[in-house]
Amino acid sequence: MTKAQVLVVGAGLAGVGAAVELARAGQPVLVADRAPRAGGAIHRQPLPGRAAISSHAARWDRLIAEAQALPIDWAFETKFAGLDHTGTALLSGATNRLMRPAALVLALGAREAVRPRTGWTLPNVTTAGALQIELKTQGLAPQGRVLLAGNGPLLIAVAAQMTRLGNPPVAIVESAAPFAHPLHSLALPLSYLREAAGYMATLIRARVPILTRAEVVAIRAEGTALSVRVETPKGPRVFTVDRVGLHDGIRKNDGGVTACAAVPVLALGDCAEVLGARAALASGRAGGIALARALTNGTPRETVPSTTLVRERAAQQRLARIYAHDAMARLADLPGGTVICRCEGGTLDDLRALGPTPRVRELRLLGRFGMGPCQGRSCGEWVARASADDPGLPPPDTPLGRARWPLAPIAIADLIAATSDTGAAPLPSEGT
Amino acid sequence: MDDLGRYDAIVLGAGVIGASTAWHLVQAGLSVALVDAEGPAAAASGASDGAVSVASKKPGPLARLATASLLYTRNLAADGPLMHGYHPRPTYIFGSGPAEGAAIDALIAKLDALGDAVRLRRDGAADLLPGTGASVERLVELTGEGHMPGYVAVAGYLRDPRIVKIWPARVRGLEETDAGVIVDLGTRRLHASRVIAALGVSTTTLFPQMPVIPRAGQLFVTDRGAPGALPGALTSAAYLLAKTTDMTALPRPPVVIDPLSTGQYLIGSTREDHADPGRVDFATLQKLMTRAAETWPALRNRRVIRAFAGVRAAVSDGLPIVGLAPGSTRVTLATGFEGDGICLSAVIGREVARMAADEAPTPALSGDLAALAPTRFTALQEGAA
Amino acid sequence: MSGPVIYWRDRILAFTPGESVAHALTRAGIAAFGPGPVGVPRAVFCGIGQCQMCLVQIDGRTVEACLTLCRDGLRVGPEQEINHD
Repeated sequence: MTKAQVLVVGAGLAGVGAAVELARAGQPVLVADRAPRAGGAIHRQPLPGRAAISSHAARWDRLIAEAQALPIDWAFETKFAGLDHTGTALLSGATNRLMRPAALVLALGAREAVRPRTGWTLPNVTTAGALQIELKTQGLAPQGRVLLAGNGPLLIAVAAQMTRLGNPPVAIVESAAPFAHPLHSLALPLSYLREAAGYMATLIRARVPILTRAEVVAIRAEGTALSVRVETPKGPRVFTVDRVGLHDGIRKNDGGVTACAAVPVLALGDCAEVLGARAALASGRAGGIALARALTNGTPRETVPSTTLVRERAAQQRLARIYAHDAMARLADLPGGTVICRCEGGTLDDLRALGPTPRVRELRLLGRFGMGPCQGRSCGEWVARASADDPGLPPPDTPLGRARWPLAPIAIADLIAATSDTGAAPLPSEGT
Repeated sequence: MDDLGRYDAIVLGAGVIGASTAWHLVQAGLSVALVDAEGPAAAASGASDGAVSVASKKPGPLARLATASLLYTRNLAADGPLMHGYHPRPTYIFGSGPAEGAAIDALIAKLDALGDAVRLRRDGAADLLPGTGASVERLVELTGEGHMPGYVAVAGYLRDPRIVKIWPARVRGLEETDAGVIVDLGTRRLHASRVIAALGVSTTTLFPQMPVIPRAGQLFVTDRGAPGALPGALTSAAYLLAKTTDMTALPRPPVVIDPLSTGQYLIGSTREDHADPGRVDFATLQKLMTRAAETWPALRNRRVIRAFAGVRAAVSDGLPIVGLAPGSTRVTLATGFEGDGICLSAVIGREVARMAADEAPTPALSGDLAALAPTRFTALQEGAA
Repeated sequence: MSGPVIYWRDRILAFTPGESVAHALTRAGIAAFGPGPVGVPRAVFCGIGQCQMCLVQIDGRTVEACLTLCRDGLRVGPEQEINHD
């Protein structure tokens, strides 16, 4: 019998880092990713023949060369549906397979948070992350007049990348006042400062306005364009643009995989803790080494405390302080008709109709929050905050109930076609 | 400890049985508090498929009570609390192979004996319902049954403002005195003349002598699509057999395909002896979905977006428990419906409310209700001792 | 058009091999992918398959436009229009 594969979900820095270390230690590895190529969000690869945009291409090139020299199996354009209590995982898409992995490594990357705003469901309003994916894949700046708005350093990065590709954004609308904290900023690691200085120099040269303590309060469709109302400390402004990229920070992303006694599960990189690219690679490698050791010798799976992780954690905490602002006041001020749950169309009024501090079951069954195909991964944070006694408190990890598979919808035709190497037979098969 | 309120009756458990009982009690003019550890429809009632079906009930007392409850549910839906909760729809039972065919014949005989509340409308093959897959050898259509999601029924009953709702509040204990019953909620106490415990799977925390066991059923929900293509639930004959047959001995996967008003499908289901709502597995999903898509091929173009297990409260002898708790004159049990509670809730709520008001049961039902009395287990224990 | 194409309603769109349906539609100026089932319009939002907002119909099946790669001759339509099952 061949040795069972370790299933690594996510072919970004953490996932490929872990796969490399596992394969080097002699573990059979299968890496699955929804995307058609390895790279993840940070090192999203361009279409064949297009120029790479990624700022640290050499880091990725080294890693992927290492991976290609090792016996690693890949399953691209393939979704991971989850791991059940028997230790069976389901892959669907280009690869359809029920399998029993020797271990599961989750390297899903972070989740981008976007706070609901009036008009945020209109076509041409996307996440800033989606604009960046488009830019990296196409090797071109998204076309037309683009406004970037929200909170966090990603807005500056996307704006600079667009500028370098010849289409600077119309403006950046930042909720916080990041430039009001020079001391915090100077305490960031040099690599952060260098990268930020590069972006800022690009934006200043191109005269991209950066409005701070400013907020997009409404987006309206006007013909084929978008009219964006912005509140700034100096009064309201209106921008007419073609596209809007929203972004309110990134979050960890390990919900939906329940603990499983049958198979070790290890979450690595940004999906476990948002610490950025350097930490993701370090976390992936360290996790891969520790897991390989545990699988080979049965030694406890202890990850070596890494100086990289400690340094990046401190840097992320500083960044959080630099970009701090009162998002909750904005949430409370939204008109009642604002959609909170995009999947099921649930509005703030629908949420309020459930009364004060509704129970999870009421949120789900009566409000239908968390009942759509994203299973509350997008709205959970905002539903929890908007319905909490104290909206200032951090929302619970699973505000809309316990984690459940599928992590992504499973096409029934794919499920039926899935091969199984699990040998499980709890029910009679058809016609037997 | 705060003493918090006196009521004529306190109902424990805000599932569909508890909510119906509370509603019937306030109609009779009693003051009622409804207590739940979580909130409304937090357990089986919120995870149910919502079939108001006589066809799926075991012959005997359950099928007869279900028939009475179906007729009464129609009344409550005409101008009562279930007005927006219950919708009539056809029921389809399908099967392939001799074992499922025999189960369908037995079903038809059972319905014949129960009168005309539920009637066999057509008996044929796949061509009887456009959209059905060719693998279906036998298909029957029943009329008279309907659909009522448990949480919608609960919400309907709870709309009566006279019901005092207390949750989340876990009951620590009951103390029965000559004057009444004290319900201990930890930090506070409630007083009542009568208590009705409709606790479902939690029954044994207060009544450990009752043989109530959790029985889970895996359920899968698809994404939305155009609603109305399938006018009623498609239930495999194997699912009817699953009520009395071990899972591994079934002739085929026990599939139920339930079209929801949202245009989604709810696909079930198994019967497994555990209480973990998160215990769902891909092998079962694949087997159920393979048969489901053969039966209703439009499912091939859908996606599964949610998976969970509904946990039913089952009883060792397969019958619910309804009646005064052994040794008590003030505490009535109404539990152990094993997924049949949605259908039975209307009549059980009415009859339990009558018991709590010291009224005789509806004469036509008294014999079948007597078969559900909790004393049947104390008699067994005494006999064994 | 000589290179590979996909179809969106009555339009013919060229694409670059390896490109997602979402990007091909976006480049052609098609941002609105049709009505969703609950009133929220279908359109690209997260771009990575998480939010389930960019659903379209291909070969009768509902798929995420952002995760689906263009293939020559692919017929893409709105999720709701074709979904009569």
